[in-house]
This record gives sequence, structure tokens and C-alpha cells, in this order.
Amino acid sequence: MSEGETPRSIVIVGASLAGATAAGVLRNEGYDGSLTLIGAEPDPPYERPPLSKEFLRGEIAFEDTLVRPATWYEEHGIDARFGTLATQLDARDRELVIAGGERIPYDALLVATGGRNRSFEVDGVELPGVLDLRTHRDALRIREAAADGARIVCVGMGYIGAEVAASLRSTGHDVTVVEIFETTLYRILGAEIGRVVEGIHRDHGVQMHFNDSVERFEGDGRLERVITSSGKRIDADVAVVGVGTEPVVEVMAGTGLDEGGGIPVDATLRTAVPGVVAAGDVARHDHPVFGPTRVEHYDNAIKMGEHAARVLLGSQDAFDDPHWFWSDQYDSKIETAGFAPTWNRMVVRGSLEERSFCAFLLDDGGVLRSTVSLDWKRDVRRSFELIRRRVAPDPAALADPEVDLRKLLPEEGE
Amino acid sequence: MADFVTVGEASEVPEGEVKAFDVNGAEVAVARVDGALFGFSDICTHRHCNLANGGELDDHTIECECHGSVFDIRTGEVVNPPAEDPLETFQVQEVDGQIQIGV
Repeated sequence: MSEGETPRSIVIVGASLAGATAAGVLRNEGYDGSLTLIGAEPDPPYERPPLSKEFLRGEIAFEDTLVRPATWYEEHGIDARFGTLATQLDARDRELVIAGGERIPYDALLVATGGRNRSFEVDGVELPGVLDLRTHRDALRIREAAADGARIVCVGMGYIGAEVAASLRSTGHDVTVVEIFETTLYRILGAEIGRVVEGIHRDHGVQMHFNDSVERFEGDGRLERVITSSGKRIDADVAVVGVGTEPVVEVMAGTGLDEGGGIPVDATLRTAVPGVVAAGDVARHDHPVFGPTRVEHYDNAIKMGEHAARVLLGSQDAFDDPHWFWSDQYDSKIETAGFAPTWNRMVVRGSLEERSFCAFLLDDGGVLRSTVSLDWKRDVRRSFELIRRRVAPDPAALADPEVDLRKLLPEEGE
Repeated sequence: MADFVTVGEASEVPEGEVKAFDVNGAEVAVARVDGALFGFSDICTHRHCNLANGGELDDHTIECECHGSVFDIRTGEVVNPPAEDPLETFQVQEVDGQIQIGV
């Protein structure tokens, strides 16, 4: 097909939240051509946020996490192949090669292969009881291993580690954390906010060891203890390793786009390969506001999936969502908007000490890049347009809870 | 003309607040914005979380606390995913200090 025509065949690689969302939009918007959805996991697409929370605590069933009912794909004429690995993209002939050698032709293709957990190379990592969390089956393994009052060690206190710690503490387990940085969520939110979250975990009885890392796992036939670099010996039945993820880019081998930082896409989500679009955790997106950005957010997977579907059908619109994310830990909710790997100044409305606040992260020019809240209503969502339009608000107004953030937007056209 | 069922006192839903009522087995949320009452299904169309309890009312929108779906309470329309389907809306009236919901 030539650019600008409606494709006759679309292949989605990655039966993920982004991939399944795109499939839904394609069918809802009237695309009735061939549609193939290929996923490496054996299960139909599901939502991952409950895996570290309600599902891990045994409060909901797997079926409750499905993006669409399992029968939806067939009912909508989608050739869904779960448990199938896509091995290579043949960009010249516009064919996708899958395990076993079958070649699936496409006019347009979406890569939504997501991420995988980074491997953790220490002695004893292969011992039974040393686990990590990415898939629904991983969560089941942790649930089973954590039965009967098992003692838990969380390795890493990013969002996954913090949510797993909170969930397993809530179900009555002894939980100990080993974190390489000086506090929780340090790399993402910085020390000031990280320490507030650390305090919440401490009040719930989580033991935390910061500025420390796992030297090795020990045990006779299964995990019995964790040895840290500073020499601590922590008795444990289960260790949950959460040390970050990496994008799954292997299908792009040979295109030059199988980059460790994610598949590069332009503002519209197109890759440099004609007809190929990428979305979700795997995409390193040239964001109109933030520049090259790869995020691993639930909401972004949905919105990028929606946008990608329209791009597959010919849309030239840029994707400029300001990004939104949340994390539930105990009865507390963290929300963030925007993207700020570093910042120059943090302005707080509310109170860090009282654990109820909205923090605004400003760059060198005073431009709002990201908003972070803890148990604070409304203001994160109200900051979306300020972030999207790169506004540099008056810090005193940001700090004043009486000021409606929407009033800080310049008039359109200004 | 719809039949109306009295569900409670008008004072139970002050300005900027939202509260759920049981109407013949249906869970209906009632919100008051700028003095006016709006009725809509209390059950998020995404994963069936309750909206009144934990949701954030902001002007004429409500955000579900579970996954961030946002609905316009005047029309039920989805303003932000993951929800795809709109909320059912209900007629609400205030008569003699009582809240009545159309069925």
C-alpha cells in the first residue's frame, strides 16, 4: 500500500494493554480488514496494576483483570495468537516472522511488546523462593510462596517493590526491604518525597535497609537468607526482586531500531520503518513537550494504544499526553503527572510532614515539568494543561491551596 | 414523565459533594455542583468501582479512584479512559427539601 491509504492488513505485536486497546479502537472506528494480535504470554491481554495489589493479596480473580473478555477477540474477527513469540520483522517484504517460521504479511504494524524485568546477577538468584513480578503467573508464584506467614524481602524500593511491600505487609507478613539508594522511590521522586513514603512504610512495620544491596541469596535447596553488601544477614522465605525493567525490542533486530532505551518513534508514534508504529512501555517517544521519553505507565499504554490505532489508519497527529500515573500503598495514593528526570526547584502545597501534599517540580526556567501528590485531591489532574503548555506559574500561587491551578493557565493565544 | 423515588434529604448532598443512594436496587450517585443536582450510575463502567465513595468530583467531572476513568456527570460521557462506555444518567429533583430520583 502507499502512505495515506487505509491498510488492508494490520498486525499488532504484543497482546498487552497498549496492543489490546489499539485493537479495540481499530474495530470501534470501523476498520474491518485483517487484524492479527500476537502475544508471547499464554493469556489474553490483562491489566498489570492489580498484580502488585488486589491480585497479589488474593482479593480479585485473574478474570477481573482482563482488558476485554477472553471471547472478545474472536467475536471481533481478530486472529489472536497468545503464547506466540514474534521473532523478526521483515521490513522489506512487510512480513512478521513468528516462532515456527510462519510469515504474516502486514500493511501496517504496531509493536507493543512492553518490557521485561532486568535480570539480577547475584549468587543464589536461582534458588526457589527468589522471585520477581511482571506477569500474572509471577504474581501467582509470589502468592503461593508467601502463604503461611512467609518472611519477605523486597529487593529494590521503586514502585513495584513499594507496592509489593505494602501488599504483603497488609496481609500480615514480615517484610524487609533492601534498597541501593538512600530512601524509597529515590530515583523517581527524589529524597524529600521518598522519605515521606519511607515513613509510611516504617509506620506499617516494614524493616528497611537503605544504601545497601544484595550480595547473595543463601539457602539449602531453597532461599533461607539474604546477605547484603554491608554484611547484614536477613532470614527470609521469599525474596521479590524489583530492580527495573528493559524494553522488549528483539523483534526489531535488523532494522537498527532494537535500542536498549526503547524503539525510537517520532511525535506521532511512527518508527523509521515504513508502516511500523510503536506504543506503550517499549516506545521511546519524541514527546512534543518532554523530548525523548520512555515511560511504563498504565494510562500511557492505553492512550498511546488509542493514538497508535489512529496513526495506523493514517492520522498525522502528534501524541502529547502529559502522562499520568498512580500508586496505591496501604491507604495512601501517590499520583504523578508529567515527566521530570531532574528538576531545579520543588514547590509544595499542603504538607510533607502531614503526608498530604501536591508537589510541583520546576525546571531551570521555572516551567512546571511534573506534579506529584500524596493523598491530595484534584490538583494533579488540574496541572495537566500547565505541563502540556509549558507554563512557568508563580511559585507562590502553586504553594497556595486556595488557588485553582486552572486559573494559572494563560489565555489561549497569549 | 418519569416516576420519582424519594431517596433522602437535600442536606445529605451539600455543594461539591457526591453521595450514593439505592434506588430499587440500582446504585445511583447524586452530586451537587453550583447548586444543581446530577444523578448518574455509581458504578464505574470499567471495573465496577464505586464512584461516590473515593471518587473525586471536580466541577462537572468525577474521577474513579481505581484506574482514573473520568466521566462528565451531566451526560455520563467518558472524559478520560480506561472506561470506554458512558455512565447511565438519572433525572434528579429536589422537592420540599427531599432528593428524588427518576426511575
